[in-house]
Amino acid sequence: MLMELKNVNYIYGIGSGYEKHAVKNLNLRIGPGEFIGVVGHTGSGKSTLARLLNGLEKPTSGQVCYHGIDIHNKDFDRKELRSKVGLVFQYPEHQLFEVSVIKDVEFGPRNIGLKPLEVELRAYNALKLTGIGEELIDASPHALSGGQKRRVAIAGVLAMEPEILILDEPTAGLDPQGRTEILELLERLHQEQGLTILLISHSMEDVARYADRILVMRQGELVLDGPPARIFRYEEELQAIGLNVPESIGILHQLQKHGMTGGEDCVTAEEAAAAIAAWIRK
Amino acid sequence: MLRDITIGQYYPAQSVIHCLDPRVKIAGTLAYIISLFWISNIWGYVAAILFFAFLVALSKVPFSYIIRGLKPILFLMAFTGLINLFQTPGKTIWQWGILQISENGIRTAIFLILRLILLVIGSSLMTLTTTPNQLTDGLERLLRPLNRVHIPVHEVAMMMSIALRFIPILIEEADKIMKAQMARGADFESGNIFQRLRNMLPLLVPLFVSAARRANDLAYAMEARCYCGGEGRTKMRPLRYSFADLAAYSCMAVYLILLFVLRRW
Repeated sequence: MLMELKNVNYIYGIGSGYEKHAVKNLNLRIGPGEFIGVVGHTGSGKSTLARLLNGLEKPTSGQVCYHGIDIHNKDFDRKELRSKVGLVFQYPEHQLFEVSVIKDVEFGPRNIGLKPLEVELRAYNALKLTGIGEELIDASPHALSGGQKRRVAIAGVLAMEPEILILDEPTAGLDPQGRTEILELLERLHQEQGLTILLISHSMEDVARYADRILVMRQGELVLDGPPARIFRYEEELQAIGLNVPESIGILHQLQKHGMTGGEDCVTAEEAAAAIAAWIRK
Repeated sequence: MLRDITIGQYYPAQSVIHCLDPRVKIAGTLAYIISLFWISNIWGYVAAILFFAFLVALSKVPFSYIIRGLKPILFLMAFTGLINLFQTPGKTIWQWGILQISENGIRTAIFLILRLILLVIGSSLMTLTTTPNQLTDGLERLLRPLNRVHIPVHEVAMMMSIALRFIPILIEEADKIMKAQMARGADFESGNIFQRLRNMLPLLVPLFVSAARRANDLAYAMEARCYCGGEGRTKMRPLRYSFADLAAYSCMAVYLILLFVLRRW
């Protein structure tokens, strides 16, 4: 197992008057090569989960294991862990600070203590992967567009060559084109580089198309865990926690209620359309 | 670690102190702070501490939460304490090289540290029990007479309330950026002072950028709501003194008279 959470609880601000049980009794196993989508409402504990996974927060109780070792063991190298478990925060472009794009991307690998040549090589590779053109390499990161900034920020994490990439709402605040670009970048990283990906989002639509496993969280608890097609069967339960199945799947479910057969394993709009077409032709 | 700063952070609770008129709390805190500089002997400090303990008990704010505000000034406290300990002339009771401690030195050092502690936690108590909005309401009202001498009281009060409101926002933001940079392997805790300063850059640059962005957003939002200063602006809940406020003023007066008596002692 790449990562494993055992009975993890996390409580914010104990004894401060603002106490909040952000993660409740969470058990989770993440295998290498998975593409996992985490969906839930604001305050469902998604972001806390991300920070727990790379050791930025310490669980109030329970264990977080990386390759079977508890990351809060005394002699565990958490700095090393942070390069292996890459975390892209919400609005990651807010953390850009260097004078040029390339220098900002080099920040991560330089911190791991790599040789200058290796640092540069990794930075170039990461920028190439994220589709930032040569002409932007020496530009100031603050002069880029929103989508470009975000891709630079993601490159900054990729340059550390993590085993697993966790992204917290990577498409928030982007226009439709920027969204697609980021999501397709993730799919490419998953397929071509074999990267394990944990995509946190409140949009089922975003997650459904790319993830091969979906986790649904509600008020700090993990309520559903499975492949998209199976999660979508719980349409009513999802609606009860304020989430929706993708629109096309919703249509499919309506049709199935009225006698349509087939299409149980559909996930994307294209698959749903094909299933409906096949049923009509029958 | 950044969440430890309590100044400007409201602690929600239902207590007598929370419900007081902000003007009482501002005037009271000011009087209390001035009274600290007025104390000259140990009995004065005993009275000041007991009075403060009484207020804390009334306020229902956990004591641990109040002293958290002291952490940032630990160094200042240690520094003033030591300087006064070694540099006050008087009857020497211990000497080593140029360092000497006098009876007077011990006394002054203890008094100064006590004074600093009470100063900080005294004002913390006010900000812990009063929301920034109430606080500026109170200030605006108290300073209203200054309008006659063309001091823009409302604008200053607005600036203050914005500044106060931004403290927790920026702290949270700093915490977030810090974590984001730590996720990229940044190290804020080791190295000598110059390395540390340089290591702060990845935190400070984004923080300043974000502060400017937020200020800009806020300005637009105010503009969009037709904000144009204090003229002709009325309050939804104008401040009015109640019986409890008068009682609080009386308490404060008794405390000050007591200090005055103790000073003569």
